[in-house]
Amino acid sequence: MAGPFESAPMTAPASDTEPRPFGDIALPYALVAPAVVVALAIAVVPLLYALWLSFQDWYLLRNPQPVWGGLINYQALFADAALWRAFWRTWIWTIGTVAVEIAIALPLALLLNRDTAIARMASALILLPWVMPFIVLGYGWRFLLDSEVGALHSVFQFFGVAGNSSILNDPNMALAIIIFISGWKGMPFMVLALLAALKSIPGELYEAAAIDGASPWQRFVTITLPSIQNTMLIIGLVLGILAFYSFDLPWIMTRGGPQDATTVLGISMYKAVFTDLRPAYAAAISVVMLAILAVASFFSLKLGRRK
Amino acid sequence: MNEESKLKSLVLDALTIAVLALVLLPIIWVFIASIRPDADIMTRSLIPTRITFDHFANIFARADFLVALRNSLLVGGIVAICTVLIAIPAAYSLSRFTYLGRDFIGFLILATQMLPAVAVLVPIVIIIRSLGMANTLTALTFTHLALGLPIAVWMLKGYIDAVPRELEEASIIDGSSQLGAMFRITLPLIRPAVVAVGTFAFVLSWGEFILALALITSAEVKTLPLALQTLFDPYSFSWGVVMAGGVVIAMPTIILFLLFRNQLVGGLTAGGIKG
Repeated sequence: MAGPFESAPMTAPASDTEPRPFGDIALPYALVAPAVVVALAIAVVPLLYALWLSFQDWYLLRNPQPVWGGLINYQALFADAALWRAFWRTWIWTIGTVAVEIAIALPLALLLNRDTAIARMASALILLPWVMPFIVLGYGWRFLLDSEVGALHSVFQFFGVAGNSSILNDPNMALAIIIFISGWKGMPFMVLALLAALKSIPGELYEAAAIDGASPWQRFVTITLPSIQNTMLIIGLVLGILAFYSFDLPWIMTRGGPQDATTVLGISMYKAVFTDLRPAYAAAISVVMLAILAVASFFSLKLGRRK
Repeated sequence: MNEESKLKSLVLDALTIAVLALVLLPIIWVFIASIRPDADIMTRSLIPTRITFDHFANIFARADFLVALRNSLLVGGIVAICTVLIAIPAAYSLSRFTYLGRDFIGFLILATQMLPAVAVLVPIVIIIRSLGMANTLTALTFTHLALGLPIAVWMLKGYIDAVPRELEEASIIDGSSQLGAMFRITLPLIRPAVVAVGTFAFVLSWGEFILALALITSAEVKTLPLALQTLFDPYSFSWGVVMAGGVVIAMPTIILFLLFRNQLVGGLTAGGIKG
């Protein structure tokens, strides 16, 4: 898509001689109003409400109505050892997911960057993990890893990675495999972006390098990589933000278990509301997560500008 | 030289197919399991003995699954229609007019797209509960509007930008109002994009999990992703049935995706990053 606001204003005939009637001025606002209402109701109001709520003392088992609590939730949050573990786990999760995404997407994009019917078909089908709902993919992977019927479990068992019980019951392995699945699910978006970046590299660069006698590896390092690293960085940040807010996949796979091994911040927050009945505390968690998102977006925009 | 590059191309094509099959194996496996008899699944044998549609017959005979199917169709359909009805005028406004606050409004709408559902989950759930609207499809439908609306506005704006405004001006000189020109001239031209955007909104609502999980508890208003969870019946549980349920949820997504791939890929790269 072209830049956002490039279109020139529509010139109404004779608008410079007589003042425009109110209807003409109000019309664009009226047209955009429903969309703005939805944006306000579903993003702006909830965010402001969460901010207000995070300063309340509201523990449903003690007081049914929120009362002003100042920084009580933020103090509790910094003293919450389990939450700190979830916080660091979320960073492992986020960085791991993006690493898996790049590790799968880069070779795939290089492979698919050809103009054959097969490559075109594959570039379409490769998007399936991205477009399919988490619930289907999550249960599909649980089926693969199931200790009684799972095909992948048999493979893991053969190589001694898994014992008789599914690796989803092993705290360390569960986190590792779900990070891998998370990266597998997000990888198509990276493939899509890398393919677009690869296609924009002028072919003459490679021809010139070939004449100079550069090996395929040298061509990759000196031409391909510098041309796609910006895309990789920006899309990596976008996917990282998404991964930071993960909930669906770890919840569907293991509900944050075993022993909190896959409890990322999204799950901590969900459990704070629905299990511990501490909505104000959960609101404080989401405010902190949002502050982190804002900082991350700031840096990603800054990097984007530098490009 | 030519022969050699042809051979290389063939080898790479074969490699592409092999890698693609490997990457998509978990998805293929779901489809295979949905048509395998439970006996085959339990023995972990890789060789299929026969194909069965029992699992599909089984889930479509379940009242709770049918209710969930109806709910998902209802919510997804209304979300698609409302998304289109709200997005067209908004996109038209952002594309065709210059006014105070336009850039900010455009940014605000786009920013909602960037906001993950988890970020606003807690306040939205509490607001909806205090309004007494938990366990209603109305509340779920409204929250699902946010999934596809921003990207719909931005995609349609791109398409409207591409329609020459001279066409509308000609119509206005002929005596029609600006809105009339929009309906008569621009809307028919961007119809494929409108269909794609509606489809996109439907698909996002169809597979949405966390808002449904947080807002819906009673069986009669559950959507399909929640109903799939209830198929994990501890007493009479069959992987084949769960996988068949997964296929039912995945099918519309896959079909609609393949139909509207070009528009959707454009939308994805334009900043539609809600997964």
